Amino acid sequence: MTPPTPPTPPPPAPSPAAEADKRASFEREALVHLDSLYRVALRLTGNPAEADDLVQETMLKAYRAWHQFERGTNAKGWLLTILRHAFINEYRRRTRHPETVDIDAIEPFSVFEELQDDDPQGTFFDRIVDDEVLRAIDLLPEQFRETVVLSDVEGMSYEEIARILEVPVGTVKSRLFRARRLLQQKLYDYAVGMGYIKGSAK
Amino acid sequence: MNCRECKEHLYEYLDRELTPAVEQEIRQHIADCPPCGEEFDFEKLFLGFLRARCRAQGAPPDLKRRILDELLDE
Repeated sequence: MTPPTPPTPPPPAPSPAAEADKRASFEREALVHLDSLYRVALRLTGNPAEADDLVQETMLKAYRAWHQFERGTNAKGWLLTILRHAFINEYRRRTRHPETVDIDAIEPFSVFEELQDDDPQGTFFDRIVDDEVLRAIDLLPEQFRETVVLSDVEGMSYEEIARILEVPVGTVKSRLFRARRLLQQKLYDYAVGMGYIKGSAK
Repeated sequence: MNCRECKEHLYEYLDRELTPAVEQEIRQHIADCPPCGEEFDFEKLFLGFLRARCRAQGAPPDLKRRILDELLDE
């Protein structure tokens, strides 16, 4: 007669103390970047409700993968990478259309040169309100928009941006150059339209 | 360094992405060359303006609470 095999024990559930530790470290290291994630999500989706969902989903995915995050490395970059993947996979098709930009077709325009006779110090910028700037950013092609937001709004380095966007550093540089010049042009045109500056007959 | 070379590094300089040696060369050039100096000042002002205009907005106040609640269910 064979002895009955002992039942296999269930997998050990994480202890409540371990779960509490995980939540505490996640709150300390990941949730502190909530404002950044939200700002980026808002510029990507162009819509507060979608941005809200995208950030919640990102945080949930990050929490489930928290054991894979290498402590002491850049949590903001890690979170933004998760956010961007979630956006591409699940949101982009629904919200905006992915555009491919012929970068060479964009002629960099120098607002500084245009302003020489009129407002060389660029004081007209002071009269342009937040919403107008955000609108101008939202009108940029997606590749430019995400690069500008990561750099100029979130203050990330070229290398961090290159890692998040999965492109070479040289691409970050050229996108940033063209994106900033395009933005300047949009804001300049707006300021001329509003009569803040005279503008030249182009 | 001449004006053209200097301008090629404009944004890298303002973004603090250059090596200290190149950064020093540019600092010297824009100190000695008023037209380049003015252009760099203008671009610096523009980047500061962008950042100031876009950072005011943060996540909605209750979003953190909702996320924490969700984590509790995990």
